[in-house]
This record gives sequence, structure tokens and C-alpha cells, in this order.
Amino acid sequence: MRGERLFIALMLAPAFLVLALFYLYPTLQNLAISLTDLSLLRLKVGGNWVGLDNYREFVTGPDFGHILFNTVVWLTLLSVALRMLIGLGMALLLDSRVLKRVRLSTIAKLAILVPWATPPIVAVVIWRWMLDGQNGIVNAVLKNLGIVDHPVAFFADLRTVWPSVVTIIVWNTVPLVAVSLLASLQSIPDELNEAAALDGAARWQQFRYITLPFLMPTITVLTLMSVFWTFNNFVYVWLATGAGPGTYTNVLATEIYIKAFVDFRLGYSSAVGMVMALVMAVFGIVYYRFLAPSELKDSL
Amino acid sequence: MRKLTLSFAALLLGLSLTIGPALAQPAVNLTFRFNDTEEQPMRAALDQFQQQNPGIKVELQRIGWRDARDQYLREAAVGQGPDVVHMAQVWVKEMGQAGALLSLNDLMKKSPLPNGFDDFVAQDLAQDKQGVIFGLPWTTDTWAMVYRTDVLKAAGITQLPDTWAELHDASAQITKRTGKAGFGFPAGGSASGAIWFLANYYWWSNGKALVVQKPDGSYGMNLTAADIAESMHYFKSFITEGHNPTSNLSASDAHDPAILQALVAGTQGIGTMPPNTYKQVLESYAAANPGKPLPFVSGPFPKGSVTRTSNIGGRMLGINVNSKHPAEAWKLVKYLATEPIFTKYYTTQFPAQRSLLKKVDFGTEMKGFAEQLGYARTWGPYSDGPAPIGAMWNATGRAFSAALSGQRSEKDAADELLQAMSKLMQTRGQ
Repeated sequence: MRGERLFIALMLAPAFLVLALFYLYPTLQNLAISLTDLSLLRLKVGGNWVGLDNYREFVTGPDFGHILFNTVVWLTLLSVALRMLIGLGMALLLDSRVLKRVRLSTIAKLAILVPWATPPIVAVVIWRWMLDGQNGIVNAVLKNLGIVDHPVAFFADLRTVWPSVVTIIVWNTVPLVAVSLLASLQSIPDELNEAAALDGAARWQQFRYITLPFLMPTITVLTLMSVFWTFNNFVYVWLATGAGPGTYTNVLATEIYIKAFVDFRLGYSSAVGMVMALVMAVFGIVYYRFLAPSELKDSL
Repeated sequence: MRKLTLSFAALLLGLSLTIGPALAQPAVNLTFRFNDTEEQPMRAALDQFQQQNPGIKVELQRIGWRDARDQYLREAAVGQGPDVVHMAQVWVKEMGQAGALLSLNDLMKKSPLPNGFDDFVAQDLAQDKQGVIFGLPWTTDTWAMVYRTDVLKAAGITQLPDTWAELHDASAQITKRTGKAGFGFPAGGSASGAIWFLANYYWWSNGKALVVQKPDGSYGMNLTAADIAESMHYFKSFITEGHNPTSNLSASDAHDPAILQALVAGTQGIGTMPPNTYKQVLESYAAANPGKPLPFVSGPFPKGSVTRTSNIGGRMLGINVNSKHPAEAWKLVKYLATEPIFTKYYTTQFPAQRSLLKKVDFGTEMKGFAEQLGYARTWGPYSDGPAPIGAMWNATGRAFSAALSGQRSEKDAADELLQAMSKLMQTRGQ
């Protein structure tokens, strides 16, 4: 028994070592930096100990609520919700008989992969040009249709900047959701729907009581993973708006970047990073407490 | 025996073919990181340098101005980075003091500059108080106003605006009479934002400044929240009244393609920029309209209650403290500051040597820049004071962007800028 335990420990040791080297050490190092006033201009000299000052400044600062709201509501909740809803809709469409009947199913499945295969930087550049206030095709169409009199500055107007960013995120990431849900949809036995139809169930009832329960495990996992990816995301907001106009679209990830590499305040930036890591840890706990056990059970 | 001789000869031939090229490889490989857009002419200039110095090979790296400073500081701190680095003049002192740049004093002694260091402008920004020189001023410039003469004519404007109020009125008149944009300036708040320059020119022309040196030698601010809010209100009026397109709220750089395109296409009447950007506008117009006279004129900045002004700006070259070949890097720096670079390759820039500046023919379209140079001032206390210019630049850009976009009221944004400044002045940027 003891030998068995030793064997298990030895087998796990390399993995633990890698984790300690690449996760634990940087985290502890970041924690240490967050308690100093280290600046990019004083990297060689090092920072002075400031205790929890950086944390206090961030949490009590005037922008804290705004940044948290942007990160949680605009960046995460809205884009994840839209991604899941549109992804589900696309998966249902791709699985429908209509597309198969008009022989567009394969083309549609291939076409849906195009946004997914587009790197985020390319996606943002494309959308920035399309939504450009002066020369963008979207403004040209809106003007030609008589919907607007003057071009809309999508990335500069406070009313349109967040919807524009969310549009890019959803466009670029929805295919993963759609393809994953399509795979789950195709695993639902046809007999269930046929039996329900014979029993007089309407389409909506079939969806509500057969399709959706089958999809729920996939939806749950995808939602949680999407929350992880989106909450952490820096690329879309930074490339699309640079956290502006002003600091209107500033989120936690861009705040970390701005403080570290624009204002050169590495200590403060590390403190923001630790706060962000704490929030992510909460998501992680939710995942391991509620979802991982059931997944484990399913796989056994 | 013959077989043996032949084998030996073949071996020698093989060795010379394989080892020969390796031995002929340049002894020194330098890296030059260049932040401007003129990559091709700069490559041609470096090829010429390589021909003159067969033992040195130079790799040209390109990076945007926005990321250049922090990228280099990160690399230099861990013993990496290019051998020769391209910097804004205002970065040099703080980068040198951060230990990222090599002192050039010894190199200058060993291999002096043809006309000495005194021939260069902006020496105060190149060295610290102890006289340690961290950068060689490479180019110099100042911003000026740029006008489309045909748009002004169509709007019935016969004279260039002389005051800030006249500039506002001219801008409004262009939009009202022609439907085109008036004074289209970049109003975004990113790290290299142009609004920093406009704000300072406005304050300076009205006898105010973000940083001043007091009679006792200490540094302070010479701006109230009301002053800042008033300047924000002035620049915001161009956007709210529709002479500066709202889309320019997401443009931060003078060379933003949307603004340059608007000037070239004639959909905007007035702009402001440094000379290299203006030259690009002129070249683009000439390329798009071959044979047509250039409908552009440059002019000095409008007058405030005290003066009209701008800053003497430009770029410097420095040598990485981690460079393994400082002597060769210095050779490259000296070469890049020679006259042919500015007459043949890097023609969009003006040299930083006084002796070379005297020879520059500004031409008709550039006259306004030449005139503005006479009014331009150095950053002075901004550079010598306790707050890093980069940090003040960022704070100002963000505050103006917040006010101009309507994210904050002018008063709130002005208060925030004052608070940020006061913190920077106390804590030396942290």
C-alpha cells in the first residue's frame, strides 16, 4: 500500500513540478510585486514595499466600479449570452432538414468555420474598417438605405462603442459554440423526437423537453468556459478601442496593460492582476464544486 | 599516390566551400529598431552603410511608436533589445536613468562627431544633470497648421486664422459653407496621442503650463481645473458643433489614415501635424493628382492671449546598454546623422544638427513650419521636473479623451487630470 502511494507520488511529481514552476512561482512573484511600487523605469533597481496600498488604491479608486461593470456586464455577460444564444440558433439551423433539403448543409458548416479560423487581430481590423466612420461599408449601407443622415462613429460614440466590440467578439467566437452544440444535437436519437411527434408533441415542445435537456451539459460547460475566456480577454477591447474613448471601454485586462505598459506602474498593475485572478478563482471553484464532479461521474 | 592527391584536393575544395562562406560572414551583427514608416528608404541607407563597412551587418527592425518605449524598456531590463534604438526626444533622459541606454560620452571622445555635440539641438533632453549623454539628437521638427487652400477658398476664407477663436470660426465656416470637415484633429487618448500637443500649445499660448519651475527651483503646476476645463471645452466644441468628425475621437495619431486621407481627398479643410506627416500628405496628393499644383499651405499655430507656440520635437538615437558591439553601434549612429541620410533616404525629416538645418530648403508648402520653428519652445521644466513626460502625456490624453467623448464632464475630467498630475509630481511617476 505504502509502495503504491510512493509510486503514485513519483508519477505525479513531474506534473506538480511543472505546475509549481510555471504557475505557482509566477503567481507568488506577481503577488510579491503587487506589494511594491515597482516601475518599468526602475526595473533594475526594484520597487519599494508599499503593503496593500496598490490594492487599496484600485478598490477604492473612482474607476473600480466602472471597470468591474465593463468586465462583468459588457464584456462577459452580454457577449457570452449572445454567443450562446446565436450559437444555439446556428446549431439548430445547421441541423435542420431545411438546409439538408436545399443541399446547403455542407457549405453552411464550412462557412461557419470562417470567422473561427480568422485570428482575432484580423477580425478586429476587418471590423474596424467595416465600421469606420468615414469610409466604412456599414455606414455607406446605412446612409444609402436612409437609416442615418450622418455617418455613425461606431468606435467613438459612447452609445455604439460597446455594441461594436461585442459584435466583433461574438462574430469571431460563435462558431465554436455552434459546432459544439451541433455535435451534441446530432447525438440525440431520432426515435425520441419521432415518438414525441407521434404522441402529438409540437416542435417547440420537442425542443423544450427533448433537445434542450440533451444539450444542457454541453451548454453548461461551454458557458462556463466562455466566461473564463471572455473575462480574461484583452485582445478585442484593446485592439478595437484601446480602452477608449477616454476610459469608457476599460476592462480589467486592459487596465492591467495600461497601468503596466502605458503608465509603467508594474506594482499597481500586478495588484489589479491579483484581483482579477481572485475573481477567476471564484469561477474555478464553481466549476470544480458543481460541474466537474458530474462530468467525472458521466465519464466513468 | 595520384588518387591520394586528388582526394586531398577534393577535401580542401569541400572545406573551402563550406567553411569559406562561414568565415566570410560579417564579424558584427547589429540590430537597429526604427519606429517610423519609412522602412524601405531606411533599409537602402543601411545597405549603403554595410557597403562602406563590410564587417558590419545591420538588421532593421520596425515597431510602432505606440509600443516602442515599453517594449524596449522590458527588453533592456533583461539584457536584450536592439543595439541601436530610435526614441522620441522626451523619452531619452528617463530611459537613460532607468539604466537602459549606454552613456555616449566615452564613445564621443574616442570617435568624435564631425562638428561636435554642440552642433545638435535639444541637448538638454539628451543628457542628465551630471552631463551623461544618453542619446544623439537625430531629427528635429515642430508641428504646424496645414490648410487645403481650395477648401478655404470654397468656404470664402481669404486669410489663415490668426487666433484660436479665428481657427474655431474658420473651422465652423468650412463645415457650414462646404459641408466638409473643418479642423479635423485626432481626439483619441491612446499612449502617443496628438491631443497632448494641442492641449499644451493652447495652454502655453495663453501663458499657462502643466509644469513650471518656480523661482526657488522647485516644480509646480501653473494650471487650475478651470483652465483645463476651458481648454477641453474649446477642443470639444469642434466635435459637438460637427466641424471635427466624431470618428476622430478614436484617432490618436497625427498620421491617422482617416485624417490624412480626408486632407488628401479634400474632404477636410484644416489639419495639424509634424512635417514628416505633412510631406506624406503632399506626396500622396501629388501621386493621386499628377501634374496638378498642390492645394496646400502650412501656417503657424494660432495666437493665444500671450503668444503662439509649439514644441521643438524630434527623435534621438541611443545605444542599448546591453549591446555587445557599442563601437560599431556608435559608427552606425554617426552614419545615420550624416547629411546624405536626410537628402537621399530619410527625406521626410529635418536633421537635428544646426549646420545641416541651415541648408534645408523648406519650399513654399513648408513655409509655415519654418515660421513656426521660430515660435517653438523646448519642453524645459516638463523634462527637468519630477514627473515623467510619458506619464503626463498619458494622463492628459485620457482626460481629454474622456471629456471630448462625453464620458466625463469637462469639470470632472479636468479635476481628474489635476489629481493625476499632482500625484505624478509628488511621486516621480510612482
